[in-house]
Parts: sequence; structure tokens; C-alpha cells
Amino acid sequence: MPQIEAQELSRTFRVAERETGLLAALRSLVRRKHRLVHAVDRVSFTIETGEIVGFLGPNGAGKTTTLKMLTGLLHPTGGAATVLGCVPWRRDPDYLRQISLVMGQRSQLYWDLPAADSFEVQMSVYGVDRTDGRRVLHDLIELLDLGGVLKKPVRTLSLGERMKCELCMALLYRPRVLFLDEPTIGVDITMQARIRQFIAGYNRSHGATVILTSHYMADVTALCRRVIVIDHGRILFDGPLAALAGRLAPFKVITIDLERDVNGSDFTPYGELLEQEARKVTLRVPRDAAAGVASRLLADLPVLDLTVQDPPIEDVIGRVFAESARPSGAGTPADEPAGASP
Amino acid sequence: MSGLPRAWLALLRRSIAGMIQYRGEVALWAIWGVIYPAVALTMWNAAARDAEGGAIRGFGPPEFATYFLLSMIVQHLTAAWDVHEMGWQVRTGHLSPALLRPLLPMWGSLSDNVAYKLVTLVILAPIWALVAWIVQPRFEGGWIDYVAAVPAVLLGAAIHYLWQYNLALIAFWSTRTNAVGEFWFGGKLLFGGLMAPLALLPPLLQTVAALLPFQWIISFPIEVAMGRLGGADIVAGLICQVLWTLAAIAVFRVAWPASLRRYGAVGV
Repeated sequence: MPQIEAQELSRTFRVAERETGLLAALRSLVRRKHRLVHAVDRVSFTIETGEIVGFLGPNGAGKTTTLKMLTGLLHPTGGAATVLGCVPWRRDPDYLRQISLVMGQRSQLYWDLPAADSFEVQMSVYGVDRTDGRRVLHDLIELLDLGGVLKKPVRTLSLGERMKCELCMALLYRPRVLFLDEPTIGVDITMQARIRQFIAGYNRSHGATVILTSHYMADVTALCRRVIVIDHGRILFDGPLAALAGRLAPFKVITIDLERDVNGSDFTPYGELLEQEARKVTLRVPRDAAAGVASRLLADLPVLDLTVQDPPIEDVIGRVFAESARPSGAGTPADEPAGASP
Repeated sequence: MSGLPRAWLALLRRSIAGMIQYRGEVALWAIWGVIYPAVALTMWNAAARDAEGGAIRGFGPPEFATYFLLSMIVQHLTAAWDVHEMGWQVRTGHLSPALLRPLLPMWGSLSDNVAYKLVTLVILAPIWALVAWIVQPRFEGGWIDYVAAVPAVLLGAAIHYLWQYNLALIAFWSTRTNAVGEFWFGGKLLFGGLMAPLALLPPLLQTVAALLPFQWIISFPIEVAMGRLGGADIVAGLICQVLWTLAAIAVFRVAWPASLRRYGAVGV
């Protein structure tokens, strides 16, 4: 049985809009314009126990809104979802004790108190057995190297220190499902690597299910074998990370090593030239034409070696995000009288 | 200890620690609660001295002194301010971390409320003693009145806290609730008995006050402690307080789920 199941899950926001300026402000008193924004649009997926799934998409794609619904913060406007067999937005305390949401840009810690105080409160609120809790806390402090920051007020911690404390706070009660929203945002590369290792370790040792959103592809490639790509509220891809390029990138990268220098040669008949060194040439060619182009290159040029590869995952995602930045019809303008309802 | 009591006591310890961090600001808020009863006392004393017989409808300087000294204490012990907090929490999404925890966010806000009252007692108790020494109140109640005043104050605090929290849920619809909070405070001033004992209000305003919850927060506990009410009135008043408390809980049970359906969880 899947641990997370979303069926046609949707969330539409009704957003007030107006032109800039005083006149527009006065006009909006009488007649307000609203736009329906389909932040999440009939999204369906299932996630099995112990999976780590990357949830990818550009800003505003609907990733965080989906996480908010799965953690019970938001009610959907359509569809259904269950996590651990519970309907998240019913906010059953037994459900909330089994999940955790770590938000890179929102803190669960008490800002003015030392982190150790936040951990104590967390254990009491989640009903963690005192003896077990002390042992778990000790282990987390060791693993995350938190010994030096426990007594400092949270507001004085660096971003990296705070994020490690957030992870500690989130895992003190051993959640079975972990929602991570940009857990490495703003922290340096070394810290990013440590956080990734820690998440992978938690997943391995506890069989926890993890959904991760991140703009850092290194997070995704290091942790996720499966990715769900979402854009304009809809799923573009759901499958193994390795298959992402095949589905979303309509091109291949051909690299050839030549016997002699070919400076000045024209490679445009073969494909788009990505890089050219003295005897090494990299071309981007349409996926369907890759085999034919490879044959022609072998026939026409003094080729020593030839490789045909999918483009790097970063390029594929970057391309998807860039294309998503184009204007689209995600919003449905609607003139409606003043008053708000989702 | 386990479950809700353990969780709530942990939240209370956290709240007390937080209040101590900002002791200067907390102290100023507490002292502000002493200032306006002191101003009202000064004005009513002056009016009583000028009045025929040195009293207004049975209230002379000693009665005003007792009334407004008790008003300082009761308004502190029954204070609530969630209508101001909730607007900010909803508007900025700061409510979200509390919603992820397996207990109602109300418990966290209640721990802040109780912590404020406990921490500031250290400052206020000497101030109240000083005010009492200066204004020389006259306590005429018997021990039964003082005993009855304890549940009256506790129920007053419950009514104020719960109705403020219900009012705060307007934030899920209108986002900003500070003006609503000011209206509520105005009601407390006029119809609760903070500005003047209700017996001094015109009959029409007394009728309006009888229909509103404010007198059960401030005026009733004061009058019980002053010994101005008979046994039957005290029992009837306590029953009214219980009914207002139950009504607030009933409203909350309907309004809270409806409010969460409106929550946009912005900024997360």
C-alpha cells in the first residue's frame, strides 16, 4: 500500500489584482478584479514506504502548495490525498506525530531561546518518552555536530547552524514521513553535503519516506532515484531520475575525438555546436536523429572515439524551467465583485 | 506526566523563558495596565468630592479607590490579546509551524497568556501594594466574597481569552484584526466597567452592558470582591460566566475548522 497517495489533487487561489496607481486603488473599492490561480492542478502520484522523491519545478510551479496540502496546512479545492492512511487536512494529532515538514525559509525553532530549549519543548509536545528522547537527542547532536550551538539563542545562529537545528527538531520524534522544502537553501556547499548525507542516513536507518524540493540539483542527484517534475501546477514527469532526460530533453549530446585538428570546420550540418577544443567536439542533436548523425560523423570525419549521451540533468531541468518562464494561461482572469473566497 | 499537561507545561516554561528575555518590554506593558485605572480613579475622585454628599450613587473616594485598585488587578489577571497576534500570524504565515504540531495552536497562545501574568506579578504586586497604601481602599466584603472572587476572576479570564480568540479568527477572512481588537477594548472600557463602575452608567448603557460579555470579565469579579453582591447574585453571576464560557467554546468548535479551510499558509 502506498504511503502517500494523491489523486487529482488541486488547489486554486482567488487572487485580487489591480493596476498600479491611486485611481486604480479607488476603483478597486467598487469593483475588484480577481484572478483564479490554479496553483496545483489535478496532480496524482503515489509514493511507497522508504522512497526519497525529488519534487522539482520552477518558482511558483506548485511544489510547496502540494507539500502544504500533504502536511495538512492547506485544504485542497479538489481531489483527494492520504498520507499514512490519513487525510492530512483533518490534522489528526496521531497523523501530525508521524510527519515532519522542514522549511528552509520558515523556522520551527523558538527564535529568542537557546536551541536546546526548543528541543525540550518539541519532545514534550510530541510525547517522546524522556529516556528515549534524551538518547535520540544525543545521537542527533553527535550526527549533526550541534554541541557548540545548543546554548546560543536561535536568532544568533548562522543559517547552516539553524538548518541543522531545524533538522534535529524535525527528527526528534522519529517521523515516518519527512517533507523537506528547500532544506539546503542558503547554506554553503560543505554544509549542503553534510545535510544530504544526514538525510540519506535517516532514510536508510529508519525506512522513512522523504519528499524533497530543492533548487540545487546536487541535492536531487545525491538523494533521489525518482523525481516528480511539476510546472504550472501539473506533473510533467514522474519517474526515475535517469529517465528524466529521455522524456523531457528532446536531444542527445554527441562527443567526438578526432585524429587531427579540424579548426575551421563547419559542424552545423550535424547539429548545434556546444563546445570545440582542438580535437574534441561536442554537439547537441535531436534525439531522433542521433543515430543518423553519429553514422555521418563516422563516415565524414577522422573519428577516433564517439560517445552519445543524454544531456546533464542540470541542463534538462534548467531547460524545463526556462521554458516554463514563458507566459502561459495558468490564470483565468475573472471580473468579480468584492469579497474573497478560495 | 504525559499528554496535554506535559506538553502545555513545556510550552509554559518556554513562554516564561521568552518573557524573561524581553522583561523590559513586558514590564512596560504591565505598567500600562496600571496607568488608566489610576487616571480613572483620579477623575472619579475629583467628581465625587464635588458631588453633593461627597459621593455619586453610593460611590465616594474610598469606594472608587477600592473599585479601581481591584480593576487594576482584575484587568491584569483577565488580560488577552490574541486578536492582535492572530492577524500577524495569518498574514505572514507564522501560524504554520504551530499548525504542524499535534495540539491546537491555542494551547501555545494560552501558555504565553499565563506566562505574562505570572512573570509580571513580580513587578505588579509591589505596585498594587503601593497604590493601596496611597489610596487607602475600603474592603467591606466577608471571606465568602473573597473566596467567590477567585472563580469569578478565573471565569472572567476564560471568557476574555476565548472570546478574543474567536474574534481573532476573523483574521482568516480579513487578515488585519487590530481595529477589531481596538473595538473590543472600547467595549471593555465602557461596558466592562474599566472606565466607570457599571452602576454609574445611564440606564440604556446598563441594558446594553447586560447583553454583552464584558461585565463578566471585569465588573462582576470586582463587585464580588468588594462585597457589593448578595449570595444569590453571586451564584447567578457565576452561572452567567459559565454560560458565556460554554458559548465561546461552542463558537470556537465551529469557527476553528472553518477558519483553517480559509488558511492560505502564505510565506512558507
